[in-house]
Amino acid sequence: MSPSRIMYWKIEDIWIFYVLAALATVIFLTGLAVHIRVWKKSAGCLDIPFSKKGLKRTILDTFSGRRILQGEISAGIMHLLLFWGFLSLFIGTSILSVHHYVISFLKGTAYLVFSLSMEVGGIMLLAGTIWALIRRYIQCVPRLEKRLEDVLVSVWLLLAVFSGFILEGLRLACHQPSWGAWSFAGQWMGGLFSPSMAEAFYPSFWWGHAFLTLSLIAVIPFTKLFHIMGAPVSIYTRESVSPVIPDIKDGPGEFNMEFNLGDLIFFDSCMRCGRCVASCPSAGAGEPFSPRDFIQAMRRGLWQKHFPSGDIRFLTRHEESKMDESFWYCTTCRACLEVCPIYGAAFEAIIRKRASAMEDGVRVPKLLNQTLEKIFNYDNPWESSRRQRGAWAKGLDLVDLTKKGAKAELCYFVGCTTSFDDTAQGMARSVSKILQIAGVSFGILGKKEPCCGDIARHLGELGLFTEQMDNCLELFNKYGITQIMTSSPHCFHTFRNEYLKAPFKVRHYTMVLRELIDQGKLFFKKGIKADVTYHDPCYLGRYNRIFDEPRQIIRMIPGVRLVEMGHHGADSLCCGGGGGRMWQDLDGDAKMGEVRIREAEATGAQILITACPLCRIMLEDARKATGLNETLQVMDLNELVLQALEGADAQKNSNPDKNGIYSYKEKQK
Amino acid sequence: MKKIRIIVCAKQIPDPEAPLSDVSVDAENKEIVVDAPQVINPFDENALEAAIQLKEDTDAKITVLSMGKKVSDTVLRKTLAAGADELILLEDNAFEKLDSHSVACVLADAIRKIDKYDLVLTGRQAGDWDSGQVGLILGEMLSLPCISLARDIRIADGSVAVKKTHPEGYERVRARMPALVTVSNEVGELRYISRTRMLKMLRGAASISSWNSEDFDVACESLMKAEVVELLSPSDMGRDCRFIEGATADEQAEKLAAVFMELR
Repeated sequence: MSPSRIMYWKIEDIWIFYVLAALATVIFLTGLAVHIRVWKKSAGCLDIPFSKKGLKRTILDTFSGRRILQGEISAGIMHLLLFWGFLSLFIGTSILSVHHYVISFLKGTAYLVFSLSMEVGGIMLLAGTIWALIRRYIQCVPRLEKRLEDVLVSVWLLLAVFSGFILEGLRLACHQPSWGAWSFAGQWMGGLFSPSMAEAFYPSFWWGHAFLTLSLIAVIPFTKLFHIMGAPVSIYTRESVSPVIPDIKDGPGEFNMEFNLGDLIFFDSCMRCGRCVASCPSAGAGEPFSPRDFIQAMRRGLWQKHFPSGDIRFLTRHEESKMDESFWYCTTCRACLEVCPIYGAAFEAIIRKRASAMEDGVRVPKLLNQTLEKIFNYDNPWESSRRQRGAWAKGLDLVDLTKKGAKAELCYFVGCTTSFDDTAQGMARSVSKILQIAGVSFGILGKKEPCCGDIARHLGELGLFTEQMDNCLELFNKYGITQIMTSSPHCFHTFRNEYLKAPFKVRHYTMVLRELIDQGKLFFKKGIKADVTYHDPCYLGRYNRIFDEPRQIIRMIPGVRLVEMGHHGADSLCCGGGGGRMWQDLDGDAKMGEVRIREAEATGAQILITACPLCRIMLEDARKATGLNETLQVMDLNELVLQALEGADAQKNSNPDKNGIYSYKEKQK
Repeated sequence: MKKIRIIVCAKQIPDPEAPLSDVSVDAENKEIVVDAPQVINPFDENALEAAIQLKEDTDAKITVLSMGKKVSDTVLRKTLAAGADELILLEDNAFEKLDSHSVACVLADAIRKIDKYDLVLTGRQAGDWDSGQVGLILGEMLSLPCISLARDIRIADGSVAVKKTHPEGYERVRARMPALVTVSNEVGELRYISRTRMLKMLRGAASISSWNSEDFDVACESLMKAEVVELLSPSDMGRDCRFIEGATADEQAEKLAAVFMELR
């Protein structure tokens, strides 16, 4: 007898099974349709443009699980076991249906291969489920929540797989086929039953297993299992998530302030894995904000608005509701997007949420209200006069490009913070001196320099941002500016990625310095003997992937040794100053900057280097607040570079050694 | 419930939060020169916010009154964008640099012309001269019950219930309407008006009337100008920063005490 399986062995009234299967399918499809309907109702359309890149990414991510493996291998392997286990059993069952209803082919070797694959799939799913339960309930991985659906879904899955193995065992115990070893787990299970007992139990276990699996399929759209359907779509639509900039010229206030389709699919597909919470610097500093809670609150809000019974998911109420006030905490640092397996950009959704709060007006916190008024009235958030904008340049003999006849190749766009803040002004002076040493033809815009619009953009004041963008473009056009260098990664990012059109080339100063060194225009005569660590500014690193240039420059300075902090590169922490947080007064258990400065201190470095005026201020404040005065110095990269070019005078008492290298005080214990 | 009519008086002033470097004193002409944008007096914005909050709870119509020699409707349209229903600008050369009594006179005459109203709201004072008199004089002229320094305003059964700010808390005061209430900053800032909303208001049609001295019954000849007797720049306070060094906290404290003694 060739190896095969008798279908519906000992099962009577098969029509009941067909009814149940049809019912499960209908419930599943209805749930799916409801999701799509809610997406359509809230986004107004279902237009997802075709993207070859998106398709490739979706297939790669889904089947290899690379995004989930990234950063946390154990979670990645667990998910791969679940995914491939589930998929192989699903495909296997479909093959079995084809075999039974369409063309009978599962005989002999084909059956044995089939049987073995199903066995392995089942074991993978079982192992994955048990691993998931261990991670959540025994290992208690901090980012994992313990809500009703978490235990329900896992236990349901566990029972469905386990009952499958028992069923297989019962069948094999009765038939004792010669090919039983191909179903090794089932055969082992069968050893636990006598043939007569197995025969008696088989039908009831069959119905039990059928019920568990069919109902599991039916509940997919109603639980976090919906990510099986939603996640690939979310991965695919990543590109269509583009900034919403209102066109105030064609009817102000008419643009759609609601979330876009990409956001909605992301909210709906989020299965609360909590990677965003683990990476969020705000949540990490103990502030009452969490990207996951925000996403869940928005998801709930959308369902309440567009679905008669409120929500399709059986989720118990959580602390999410207060997220309606907490979205001002987000520094838009982009750390959550780095780790989200489905490329969910919580910070972009937050900016859209802020935009609707701006239009509403009532929910805008007092300090932000005042800051935005200042930006509008004085073109800077620092309560400073426009006329004082170029004051830092006094005595430096710089070209003012707005003066008649002034000409220079490069426009140094200083930015509001670097122009006005006492701490940050040093950056403007040192970078100007470096450019002078390198003999670069450059000029500034003096008191006519406007605000680039970064703050308005990331606080969601999109109307103000559009006006500022138009101002800048007009000014650059008027003075024929085509090459721009910025001090702030925020201005750099805004010009490069947020402006609808940018008829100029913009570079951050780290890029310019790197080029000047390559061209041999900057040469480090003097060295600095110091261990330094580098803090990646979010808008330079994560947003624009400039991780290497600053590090290369640091390594080129003789005597300097670069040590990395625990969080660096794409995984860097935020100083707490972005996304308008610099101008807000929100408290957590600790300041983000303090968390960061302690990490820098732990490296044993004497200098903490950064390349952003906001980071420079936040980290300097944090250094003072944590009382690290003696052990750690905060510097901007160009301040360090200037010292290496001129010969350090920072450590006034020390003299250079015979190689001309200045030595920094050893860290005091 | 019948519709409540609220009148909010709003003064246009140079931004009191302007950077110090943009403010100078012209002693000769007895003028303060402020090179800063014109804004609505922040306390009047508080009054407007209070009115809008009342409108959210009850059926109300808000009329904003603003007076001066030159009043900019681009500044004052903000009140309409925020939720006021109508804006009346009282503009006349005769309304320039009036004293508080005369300002109240003009406003009272304009309000008499409006005729129907239940509640008049003003800011507790204006952020330029900080006199804090117009509101109360206006109440007296209109023979209205007056409550000053409101931090919370409620309307019920034809009367207005106010929490009046005190240094040690607040006092509850109730008055029959029509009444006049001067509003303090504790009421809350005026809600944020986004640029898109403001531009929509600037470009669209709006209910704005402009009255000069002939449009309403005002006795121009009796108006008095405020006279500035003398205007001086604040003397340069000067700053002196010294670091006190010492090995121990006790030693530092001792030296600090010595400095205090020396300066006494």
